[in-house]
Amino acid sequence: MAPITPFNASDITEKARRDLLLLLEGIRGKKNLVLEKSLAGPLNLLVKFSTLQEYGVDKPFFLENDHVDSSQRNVVFLVRGEKAKTVSRVAAQIKRLRHNGQVEHEFYIFWVPRRTMVSDQLLEEAGVLGEANVSEWPLYFVPLADDVLSLELDDAVSDLYIRKDPTPIYLSAKALMLQQQKYGLFPRIIGKGDNAQRLADLLIRMRTEVTAGESNEGYGSSFLGLTPSSTIDSLIIIDREIDFSTVLLTQLTYEGLIDEVFNISANQTEVDSSVIGGTAQQPGQQGSASTSMKRKILIDPKDTLYSTLGDSNFAIVGNLLNKVARRLQSSTERNQLAAKTTAELREFVAKLPGYQAEQASLKLHTSLAEEIIKHTRTDVFTRSLEVQQNIMSGADPTTQHDSITELVSRNVPLETVLRLLCLESTTNAGVRPKDLETFKRAIILAYGPQHMLTLSALEKMSLLQPRGGSSLAGGIGGPAAKPGTVTNYSPLRRSLKLWDDEVNEADPNDISYVFSGYAPLSVRLVQSIIQKQTLASLLMKKPAGGLNQSASHASHMTQGLRLFEDSAKYIRGATVDETQIGEEKAVKARAMLNGSHNDGSKTVVVFFLGGVTRAEIAALRFVAQKLRERGGEGRGSRIVVAATGVVTGEGLVGASVEKASFGGDHVQ
Amino acid sequence: MSKPTSNWEKVGDRFYRKVQLYSDVFDQDLELENYKVVGAPYSGAVAIYRDEEKIHTYRGSQAAKSSIDIYSCAGKLIQRINWDKGSIKGLGWSEDEKLIVVTGDGTVRCYYELQGDFVPFSLGHGAEEHGVQSCRFWSSGFVALLGNNHLIAVSRYDEPRPQLLAKPPTDDVISWSIIPPAYSLSRSVEVVLAIGQTLYVVDATDAEDRDFTAGPFRHISVSPRGEFLAFYTEDGKVWVVSGDWSEKLSEYNSGAKTVPKDMQWCGSNAVALAWEDEVHLIGPKSVATKFYYDAWVHLLPDVDGLRLLTNDVCEYIQKVPAETEAVFRLGSESPAAALLEASTLLDQKSPKADDLIQMIRPSLAEAVDTCVKAAGHEYNIHWQKALLKAASFGKSVLDLYSSDDFVDMCETLRVLNAVRFYEIGLPLSYDQFKRLTPERLISRLLNRHEYLLALRISSYLHLPTSQIHVHWACRKVRLSSDDEESICRLIVKKLNGLPGISFEEIARAAYDEGRVRLATELLNYEPRAGKQVPLLLGMKEDNIALDKAIESGDTDLIHHVLLHMRKKLPLASFFRVINTRPVATALVEASAADQDRELLKDLYYQDDRRLDGSNLLVSEALSQKDNLPAALDKLRLASKYLQDSKEYTSQRQVLDETQRLLKLQEQFEKDLSAPGVEGTGTGPKFVGLSANETIFQLIREKHNKRAQKVQSEFKIPDKSYWWIRLRALVASRHWTELEELAKLKKSPIGWEPFFNEVLAAGNTRVASHFIPKCTSLTVRERVEMWTKCGLLVQAGEEAFKAKDRVLLEELRDRAGGSAAVELERMLGMLGRR
Repeated sequence: MAPITPFNASDITEKARRDLLLLLEGIRGKKNLVLEKSLAGPLNLLVKFSTLQEYGVDKPFFLENDHVDSSQRNVVFLVRGEKAKTVSRVAAQIKRLRHNGQVEHEFYIFWVPRRTMVSDQLLEEAGVLGEANVSEWPLYFVPLADDVLSLELDDAVSDLYIRKDPTPIYLSAKALMLQQQKYGLFPRIIGKGDNAQRLADLLIRMRTEVTAGESNEGYGSSFLGLTPSSTIDSLIIIDREIDFSTVLLTQLTYEGLIDEVFNISANQTEVDSSVIGGTAQQPGQQGSASTSMKRKILIDPKDTLYSTLGDSNFAIVGNLLNKVARRLQSSTERNQLAAKTTAELREFVAKLPGYQAEQASLKLHTSLAEEIIKHTRTDVFTRSLEVQQNIMSGADPTTQHDSITELVSRNVPLETVLRLLCLESTTNAGVRPKDLETFKRAIILAYGPQHMLTLSALEKMSLLQPRGGSSLAGGIGGPAAKPGTVTNYSPLRRSLKLWDDEVNEADPNDISYVFSGYAPLSVRLVQSIIQKQTLASLLMKKPAGGLNQSASHASHMTQGLRLFEDSAKYIRGATVDETQIGEEKAVKARAMLNGSHNDGSKTVVVFFLGGVTRAEIAALRFVAQKLRERGGEGRGSRIVVAATGVVTGEGLVGASVEKASFGGDHVQ
Repeated sequence: MSKPTSNWEKVGDRFYRKVQLYSDVFDQDLELENYKVVGAPYSGAVAIYRDEEKIHTYRGSQAAKSSIDIYSCAGKLIQRINWDKGSIKGLGWSEDEKLIVVTGDGTVRCYYELQGDFVPFSLGHGAEEHGVQSCRFWSSGFVALLGNNHLIAVSRYDEPRPQLLAKPPTDDVISWSIIPPAYSLSRSVEVVLAIGQTLYVVDATDAEDRDFTAGPFRHISVSPRGEFLAFYTEDGKVWVVSGDWSEKLSEYNSGAKTVPKDMQWCGSNAVALAWEDEVHLIGPKSVATKFYYDAWVHLLPDVDGLRLLTNDVCEYIQKVPAETEAVFRLGSESPAAALLEASTLLDQKSPKADDLIQMIRPSLAEAVDTCVKAAGHEYNIHWQKALLKAASFGKSVLDLYSSDDFVDMCETLRVLNAVRFYEIGLPLSYDQFKRLTPERLISRLLNRHEYLLALRISSYLHLPTSQIHVHWACRKVRLSSDDEESICRLIVKKLNGLPGISFEEIARAAYDEGRVRLATELLNYEPRAGKQVPLLLGMKEDNIALDKAIESGDTDLIHHVLLHMRKKLPLASFFRVINTRPVATALVEASAADQDRELLKDLYYQDDRRLDGSNLLVSEALSQKDNLPAALDKLRLASKYLQDSKEYTSQRQVLDETQRLLKLQEQFEKDLSAPGVEGTGTGPKFVGLSANETIFQLIREKHNKRAQKVQSEFKIPDKSYWWIRLRALVASRHWTELEELAKLKKSPIGWEPFFNEVLAAGNTRVASHFIPKCTSLTVRERVEMWTKCGLLVQAGEEAFKAKDRVLLEELRDRAGGSAAVELERMLGMLGRR
């Protein structure tokens, strides 16, 4: 029997695709599709527009633009039903179409990912429920790569941390539960953070609820579904709240920088067309919805060139590109010269399309990299990077204040400044109240009074807050106000070796390469669970190196065992560690059915509640690769990264930035 | 034992068999000819009601009362639904044994669980004015034909959405039928209408004339899977056409003078015509066989055959399954037949048994399979046993044979025989059972209150039993006359701890019965919080509902409860309820921020959340657009909101400063837009800028005095001010002023930024002015700066002054032309010394 791979990206894609097409098929004739903007990206990833056309979609419209016309009788709404705002918008548009059209419309609403009672209630109040055919498209996880699943909840950060609205937690739990029902329970759930606790509680709760009821509603293998899985090792939940700093830092992997500079959404990035030049026939280019100036580029994880580049530190991307360019050039040229016999010629011609695709991809990435270099050479970039590096390596943050003040005076984008300030606040358990007041004032003077709302939102997110209590005079690293309310980086910096002075970007030996020095706390935590020995030996390694491995092995082991528990003490929020066990008989039955798996090939799911950065994905991939090389360390070796969405520092602080300003919209 | 082939009929080259399922079905007094009879798919219940268009004997006032009676196939009355709701224009079943009754005024009643309870809905689309004429049903929906020939389709019953199909011509419809969505080419329901000489095919979007001339067609029938269509023409012919309308497959002349009262498909390969007591079965290639009855006969089509119902008997006609034919057909030479023979011989202890086995040895496995399958298709228990015994015998001879099929079949047959028993009256064929699935068989048993049998079958087939228990408990709650306490105790004792029990369903049943206390008590046993909420809301236990919703973590549920409470409660008590529940408060806040700001204001006021309240006012001020006085008002309010508490002094200060800034900006706009300035009469805009930006703008426009005023007014640090000044000057290309600045001695931000900014703006000449002033930098850096300005000679001088030979050499290598010569000279001078 073929081994079952849990959290299989292609399975998930296929299912989502089928579900949607089945829904579309159910509507006779042509139809206009109205979709929420935030769903356009995931939709594009799952189904090609030409396929939608085959299924009768005539024209797509964005819900936000409110301009769907009466050109087709059938109107299909594809929207998320969790927020009252979107529901009312749908209701309003149905009403509008109903009143102005001479066409008698048929309305269909596909709620994503589920039909909610609130939506029913609101539609009923608006008097349109009776006219709409309501169904749901259960789209939870959207695979971004083979090992990256995202819920693509764009509002997750503001929902969770500003409004304290637990909807993303519930949806995450639902999504994970569906996977559990398919592949079995996570034998162990480990996590850190208050929201992680909530998520774990929900998962356990849902488990009893599922056993209690839904068994006869057709989930298929119900009696096997709820026994611990034999292919999944564990679920690790990281609440973004425990480690905002990692997000705030500028990512230094190639993919991370693309995200920072151009923004990636659902594997697509928009680049000024002048950047990539006249390469009109890019294989990855999606010309449909782009404006005249911007061009959409698909960041394709399956592109061979990109797969080697994406997770590398940007410092070596230039070299890698060079190498590929040289290889391509030499191979094509040599072949042209050597192509004497027809057999050789045929072989060469057969390879040509591959070369061409590679060449196109090379061209694209070279121009992208050039553009990024332009960006990284700017003074603002280097200055803020310097501040970040200093803060993370444990320097006294007050020494950085001059730089930050200068950046404020220079009117660099607000997000850049806020990132630095928040970074200082999150890594040092707050900013000295006096300094904080000064900065707040400076920001309001420089960027406008509307940002008093921004600042207060940041405080609500506990991104930017005064340092509490006794540590006022204590300087950096003083004990936090209350244990468990803030993440205390100074002990962690030592105990988890968050800062690596001997970082090797070209041939990385530790995850610290993704930030050229800083090893993301979130990933270190994951390591402390699944890669204990390596981490322990890393921590023990004397700066001089050349350590006698076997002698200290035992001590690594003992130290490694408690790494997670020890570090968790210094991190804010609750610590979760639950084991889910099932009936012994059922466990055995499952093990028999799936064949015996050695632990090495088990899957570890790392779920980032509140979003994951591309740099962290790269770091986790690095960890997974190391685990594979060594055959795992008692736990699984395949790591699947799941998250509510992909975030960047800009997006994180951007969630709180007030967009309106006084005096209308003529400014900025 | 009668031969298994005794009820076979040869139709053309195929065999059909007529199995008698039950006898003495109905009371002889029941005048079945005056009744309409419809049967649920998969040998389900039969509903009959008196056809109002026919006269019938008067049997006293009691019998005259109209009713819809639901019988099992064996004639056992399951439920009588008294009917006084108007004329029935459509009666049909859904796949899950819901009885659908459509009345002339377009009301549809959906009776579930074979009980008297129903869910009504109305067809709309003009059904009321024009009246429903007739209806055609498929497994999960139906189509109604109105008086004006409009067609309304309903494709699901849980959430019915009557949909008007395309409009056909308004001439009289002679007969009609539907192709269910699952089998139509368009995947939505299609209607075939016989109008005049021709046929129309109607779906949601268009009505297409099929251009037939052989009409009028008296009957139209669609085969169970839509692959064939049968038409009965005026002159007594039966046409069979393929489902895609591409070819006419056969034509049969019935020779009958009277039009048959019904025409139905028997499975997918024969058409049955029924007159009052005569049935013609027409197979492919237009051959027919005839059956005669003593009484009026009704046809009840099913997926794989046809049920015939008279007062006396319930019979089932189907094509003899291939396996059965292989075993039993006279003179069959199939290995399975030989195996059966061998098995009987073995019983008779005849040595020939072994000879036979050896003969069919090569195909023995196949023979066993055939016997097993044939057993499944057999209704007669004797022959089932014989076939299974034969299979078992064959199996024992084989070395390797997987017995799974055999075991499955034994289990299935046991179940089938149990439900076929006349007291249950579910004469499922094997194929029907496979399609119905055991789960739905269980629910059919529950509808008939056969709990014990359902439980036995469930445990026999390893199915979940929870639904059975719940169903039982619901019924108990509804019907039991015991006191509530003992009912509760009984139910909990039996059900608690069993997996999959939905106490919510039971509680709901109790609540619907008006047993509120019992409902509350039962609800406590429900583990799924989400399930409890709707019922709790219904029971007006709002606070508990809210707690349960929060417990479930499902924000949708919480919103639902909150919306409900918000409508019901006065504001103050609403706030009191959510106050103690942070999640609820957060959700109210989140949704109110988009939808209901007043509510939010009240909430903050009530909770004394001053900063939030003030922020809300600020964001309102922001949304005032160009209405500056209004915005200022809001800001003033926001500031006032905070005045009583000390901790927000800095916030207040910001608010007050903002007001000052806005007023100042307004003033600037007024002053600077005086006619003559800028010519157009509209000066630069200031309102909405930050303090820094205001200064920037002022310096750009050379209003330095005003800029300084802003600086002092808002105590902007010198450093910042200089930066702004620098940027503004560079941005507006005021080079002369910059050069003026270069003459100053000191700058709070040093001179390097000046160099960088000016250079970035592309003016190397002005930039170079600042290089000598950067005294804090190293020589190398300054040399680099000169180089950036393209002034290599000056760079050289810098290096020369510092006597840095290496640097000078580097420069020389980079330089060309006269600069190189000059640099060489300097090197020479250095070298000389």
